[in-house]
Amino acid sequence: MTGSAVGAIAFVTLLTIVVGARGIRVARTPDDFMVAARQVPPALNAAAISGEYLSAASFLGIAGLIVSQGLGSLWYSVGYTAGYLVLLLLVAAPLRRFGAYTIPDFADGRLESRGLRQVATALVLVIGWFYLLPQMKGAGITLQYVLGTPYWIGVVTLGVVVSVNIAMGGMKGITFVQCFQYWLKLCAIGIPALVLLIATGHDPGRNLQPGRAPVFTRATVIQVPQAIDFTLTRPTTATVSGLVDQRQYRGQAVPLCACRHIAGAGTQLGFAAGAPVPTSLAMAPSPGLSWDSPLSAAGTDGAHPLLATYGIIIATFFGAVGLPHILVRFYTNPDGEAARRTTLIVVLLLSTFYLFPTVLAVLARLHAPQLYLASDSDDVILALPSLLLPGLAGALLAALVAAGAFAAFLSTSSGLLVSVAGALSHDFMKGGVTSFRWCAVAAGAVATAASLLIGHFSLALLVGWAFAIAASSFCPLLVLGIWWRQLTRAGAAAGIVVGGGACLAAIVATMSGAATRGWGAVLLGQPAIWTVPLAFSVMIVTSLLTQRTLPGHVGQVMLRMHLPEALKSWP
Amino acid sequence: MEEEGEGAKPAQRQLVVWRGDQAPVQHDIPGPGDLRDDTKTGRLLIGSLMRAQLGLSLLCLMLALTVTVSFPLIAALVPSVGRMTVAGLPVTLIVLGVAFYPVFLAIGWFYHRQARQLEARFTDLVDPPARRPAGPMTRQPDDEAR
Repeated sequence: MTGSAVGAIAFVTLLTIVVGARGIRVARTPDDFMVAARQVPPALNAAAISGEYLSAASFLGIAGLIVSQGLGSLWYSVGYTAGYLVLLLLVAAPLRRFGAYTIPDFADGRLESRGLRQVATALVLVIGWFYLLPQMKGAGITLQYVLGTPYWIGVVTLGVVVSVNIAMGGMKGITFVQCFQYWLKLCAIGIPALVLLIATGHDPGRNLQPGRAPVFTRATVIQVPQAIDFTLTRPTTATVSGLVDQRQYRGQAVPLCACRHIAGAGTQLGFAAGAPVPTSLAMAPSPGLSWDSPLSAAGTDGAHPLLATYGIIIATFFGAVGLPHILVRFYTNPDGEAARRTTLIVVLLLSTFYLFPTVLAVLARLHAPQLYLASDSDDVILALPSLLLPGLAGALLAALVAAGAFAAFLSTSSGLLVSVAGALSHDFMKGGVTSFRWCAVAAGAVATAASLLIGHFSLALLVGWAFAIAASSFCPLLVLGIWWRQLTRAGAAAGIVVGGGACLAAIVATMSGAATRGWGAVLLGQPAIWTVPLAFSVMIVTSLLTQRTLPGHVGQVMLRMHLPEALKSWP
Repeated sequence: MEEEGEGAKPAQRQLVVWRGDQAPVQHDIPGPGDLRDDTKTGRLLIGSLMRAQLGLSLLCLMLALTVTVSFPLIAALVPSVGRMTVAGLPVTLIVLGVAFYPVFLAIGWFYHRQARQLEARFTDLVDPPARRPAGPMTRQPDDEAR
């Protein structure tokens, strides 16, 4: 397992660096990008967008969250896909016609304001960093799982590889690399899912029945890798070798009550078929929600699940529009019409990809309930292949999954780091290639340091929060900027600051454990439900109050965004 | 509007009822020039296109949101719906795991087609093929069919 997985990860990393290194020049100006890839056909471009978009959350996080919290977590994959439908409906073609390269470019060009540009840049940094955290965490737990190294080694490895690679000028402007990443990820999750599905056969067993806690489908012996707390839903008897509840056993049958237990490292627990599955703290389901419920209480501890679900829906549906690293890919479409076609293909590619994490999660629930004893829900997909398919085949599939996961961290964090470093060096430093390089290293270092602190949050939850911030700041800026003449600088700035700031504050409060139950938990844990409407309202009201500062060229800008290309051919 | 354009030719002898320095009267038929020069007519034209496009987008958005948002609502109001199984699989798995994706694709495809037709119709209104000079500006005849 270890050898093949390490080999696969190293191969993916090297391949990414080598292919990316062909673009040594730092493609930061629109012209560079144009030279590199102005006439990219929609199918290729769509694969590149999807390759950059599918991150640690999609690859590991969602499946882990489904196994631990239930099917309601599927809202994340539904929302990540629907985000591109919203992007298609509201911004794709006008944004391409406008020709902005980054969101600060759009803010500047649409409203002619340096100040607003800097506000937007600050938000790019916040969203970019927030989105980088889960990628780093993903790398940390993947290497931890594969090699048994401490968590920080994986985090630092990814941070160094990505920062250095970008500082050297690789990885960007090369649509082909990101396109390759999409197909790699699809294979790395699709092949294991299909092989394991065939290997285990079609058997919707007891663990899929509504409202049931998981049970062992056959007699199973679990080896606990490290000391862990677990609970049982009902009393049972287990054959224990090792340390349980501070008592040493040697293969004795031990009655265990339906309460909290502690197992020591290396302890073996044997359960009979039909016995309840022990669940670790990290895998504990939300109280009050059954596994098959279509509601999700991720991040809110089971309080007001319907509202929490709507929070996820709003954040993910409207967050994709405002992600800082995606917009640049639309620039490589030849025209607005092609931008629409590209986006539609992205919806197709994402829909295809998201079928597979679901398959893996359901297989884990059905056939590998021992995963409920994992110390982190994000490990589940990595561990599944070798549990279901012992021997070489399982090890190879596990290596493929690990490599795909690493590809996900690499591609998304590279795209994000380029956006963050570009924004930093262009708007806050003096610009230029040298400044960009230092900014890439500095931004990478900050993200790496911060990710060492967020170990216990689920990947999908963290990425969902980055989406919530984007949805409460850049989404209103783009949507109103494109469709509403009367948007003013003051309105845009106020909306971004109030919406994004409120959302960020709520998330930081949740992360520091400010509110863990009731309304507070929902409103702080899934803040998009109130921060998105807040951002839109603040932007509209402030704009209406400051109509005298309407930029003079708004008519021309509206034309540029909405006029079909066929009419633009005047001299 | 077409008739006004015909009538713009000055008659042989005519009483001058307005002077040139007064508000100019737009005799031209609205065309690409109005859009380029940001005239009142041009603004009306682009405004109508934007309204039509936004209406289409919001219609599709409402459709997608209604479909998705109603499922958890129904499941919360009628808990037995959430506990149904189809062929041994929970209904949540089928709806959230598979069924929404074709819906999104269908809405996206419908929008893509409608938006392109809106733009083609607008182009023909502003710059009718009959008045278009032959040359690089002329669109290919299969543009709309595609």
